[in-house]
Amino acid sequence: MPLKYRVLTIVALCLVSIWALFPRNVTTREIGSDRLMHDVTVRHIPLRQGLDLKGGTYLALEVDDSKQAIPADKKADAISRALKTVRSRIEGFGVSESVVQTQGADRIVVQIPGIQDPERARKLVESQAFLQFKIADKTQSLERALPRIDQVIKQRGLTPLGDTASKTATAATKGLQGLLNTDTSKKSDSAKKSDSTKKGGAAASKDSTPPDSLKLQPGGAFSTLIEQGGMAGEFYVEASKIPTLQRYLADSAVKAAMPPGKDFLPGSDSASLQGKWYKTYYVVDNKAIATGEHLVDARPNQNTLDGTVVEFSMDNIGGRRFRTETGKHIGDYMAIILDDRVMGRPPVIQGAIGTRGQITMGGKSLADAQDLALVLRAGALPVPLRVAEVHSIGPSLGQDSIDKGMRAAIISVALVVIIMLVYYRFSGLLAVGGLTLYMLYTLAALAGFDAVLTLPGIAGFVLSIGIAVDANVLIFERIREELARGKTVRTSIDEGFRHAMPAIVDSNVSTILTAAVLYQYGTGPVKGFAVTLIAGIAASLVTSIFVVRTFYLLWLNRSRGAQTLSI
Amino acid sequence: MLRILHDTKYDFIKYWKTAAFGTIAFIALGMAILGVHAVRHQSALNYSVEFTGGTVIQLTFSKPPGADAVRSAVDQAGFAGAEVAQFGDPQNYMVKVQPKEGVMAAANADSSGAQIAHILEQRLGAGNKVTVARAESVGPRVGSELKTKAITAILISFVVTLIYLAIRFEWRFGVAATIATMHDIATTMAFLAMMRLEISLTVVAAILTVIGYSLNDTIIIFDRVRENLRKQRKESLRDVLNRSINETLPRSVLTHATVLAATLALLVFAGEVIRPFSWIMAFGVFTGTFSSIYVAGAILLWIEHKWPRTPESESKGTSRALAEGRRRERPTPVTTR
Repeated sequence: MPLKYRVLTIVALCLVSIWALFPRNVTTREIGSDRLMHDVTVRHIPLRQGLDLKGGTYLALEVDDSKQAIPADKKADAISRALKTVRSRIEGFGVSESVVQTQGADRIVVQIPGIQDPERARKLVESQAFLQFKIADKTQSLERALPRIDQVIKQRGLTPLGDTASKTATAATKGLQGLLNTDTSKKSDSAKKSDSTKKGGAAASKDSTPPDSLKLQPGGAFSTLIEQGGMAGEFYVEASKIPTLQRYLADSAVKAAMPPGKDFLPGSDSASLQGKWYKTYYVVDNKAIATGEHLVDARPNQNTLDGTVVEFSMDNIGGRRFRTETGKHIGDYMAIILDDRVMGRPPVIQGAIGTRGQITMGGKSLADAQDLALVLRAGALPVPLRVAEVHSIGPSLGQDSIDKGMRAAIISVALVVIIMLVYYRFSGLLAVGGLTLYMLYTLAALAGFDAVLTLPGIAGFVLSIGIAVDANVLIFERIREELARGKTVRTSIDEGFRHAMPAIVDSNVSTILTAAVLYQYGTGPVKGFAVTLIAGIAASLVTSIFVVRTFYLLWLNRSRGAQTLSI
Repeated sequence: MLRILHDTKYDFIKYWKTAAFGTIAFIALGMAILGVHAVRHQSALNYSVEFTGGTVIQLTFSKPPGADAVRSAVDQAGFAGAEVAQFGDPQNYMVKVQPKEGVMAAANADSSGAQIAHILEQRLGAGNKVTVARAESVGPRVGSELKTKAITAILISFVVTLIYLAIRFEWRFGVAATIATMHDIATTMAFLAMMRLEISLTVVAAILTVIGYSLNDTIIIFDRVRENLRKQRKESLRDVLNRSINETLPRSVLTHATVLAATLALLVFAGEVIRPFSWIMAFGVFTGTFSSIYVAGAILLWIEHKWPRTPESESKGTSRALAEGRRRERPTPVTTR
């Protein structure tokens, strides 16, 4: 290739690289310190930073088949449908540059850069958002079933977990009923326990019916776990006893002994009394009178009467069905159930309800209501998902990594430059020129491939600076050999490049092959490392073989047949 | 012209017995340490949560809290048996919680981090701010999947390089290079055991890079051998090998120096997260250099001794290389200006 075109090619490559790396304006939506979204326009170099540098949350979700078996062939389909829901939830969350994609056949990967609150993100994607309306039990079916359940537990030899469960109910726990029933003002004060739920229009009575007259059977294993709550079908369970309760409930014989046609579900409420925490549980019909299927909109709101609420509306079909069903159950308590959890305390149905309703969230913040509304709008997940993997990196750690990585890069470049200049003098200077272009090309290639820069990626880049000079060293040593054989400078340079070529090609190709395997089998940061390595090797081949040779040719032209070469 | 180790005539191959003894002793020592770890910690290798499943939380304090305070807070949060270790400077602590059987550990990653941070904040008072710098949690199934993937990656890279070398050189060279690579993995494992470094995905990447780097070095020497075999057909392979190693010595020293410089910069300045990676790379420079000479070279000699090259095999294996060599040896036209 004539020298003119060589130089032109190098200049063109440089221009393309500079263009690829030129800072540009990007408008992103980011969550500010107030947990609300803002549009932010920033100007930065178009190199994407991985979560480990930028800070953020990485979630891997898989189908949760712990409750019901899902055949493998249905999993893939379920995942692809769930992907849409998860994506719309994350998009609604308002984080730009977030990634939602499937990995393999049975996993969804969510990457949310810059998010400060991983717990919130996790809840957002994990909640199945299956909204159901069920009628709370008024027939005391659980109380009637208690002797049977106690007996089953005895027969099966199930033991409580820990020692707290074996204690009988104390006076303090009995006083709980009175507290929760009468003292409504206190209830609305305490944020934790006052999540109460009600239907719009229907003025729910927060202080519900007096406690049931029927006393629980004392002594039985199950009976001692639960306390009669403030309304029919409501029970309190001490927080420390919940593991025991869950263990009993998981037993198949106990399941069979539970009242037929009813569900025993935990509520979202909890209350503290004399230093102990109690959770609410509800007995509800297992058949839902309506589901969130026909929900068309959900909005967070705040008003003085109910605190934070989510207002929702249904379409006409859903509204009509809802009206008929609620009309049949006037005077009953209606539990609003989200993912098998009763949201707040079931309100009384005071009249048929149409298309609009609200879920009161008590003392919860507007951000929580925003999330619930978003999840309801995006629709329910076709299958329950569980989080298989979480990585969350704080932004300060990421910045720290960038700073340290940059420092290591600068120092290693300095060391390499010193070694090359001391050992090879003028030729070393040419190699350093090549190295400068090498760094430019590598970064441009990374930007061009839209590769994600990770911390191992930076390490790979630093390492590749050390390795990149290897090709130069091979060539220079060959040129020295040729010069030692008494050949002219020009011939030595030609021969040196020619002889070093097979070694350079073979060694670099084998490294690229290893990097390709890494890319194929690696995830996240390791993939970033592989991409950096491949880009680095490619750029190193171009600079050492093509660019440095052109430098030599330029020098030969200008020096008009130099007799000696500083190498 | 600054020259180091120019025109040397060291008889490298002569010391192969000493070298073999040294490296076998090193690997044996490493394996013994692995055995001790296996007895003491249940698992021979110190896998990160990415592979075992579990939760890792990195806490950053505004003032050094002392390891005992962190440990008791972790115990109080209900994570008795968790590993607590200082991470880099005394302001950073790492808490590693193994998954309880049957419990979905992953679901609790962030909350357990927040929980521990909360308890610590209460204990240490307002003057010391605690932040969760990093929280990672992996379900056990994902972990075992990753382990399989990592092993597959290493095996595939073996096969790929073996095929490549068989095509570019000859099967003898390919086998020798692959055995040298296996040796590198064995010594790196021994090094891992001695340093008790945690095996994370990044460390697997480092091991693969060491493999690539060592292979690179082996290829440079084999390329010389290939070339010298064409030129000097009367010389014994042993002499050719020695000569080739000596001829490539300046290059080896210089390249290893630059790579080592970059690696040391990473080790010292790039921070705690990347440190295991840097350690392995630093070690890799040495084991890679060693194995290119004393493993790849010695094995090549041994194979040559066992299955000497016959005219037929030469015509099969090296004919292409020879043809290439002849092409290369053609006098280059003198360029005139």
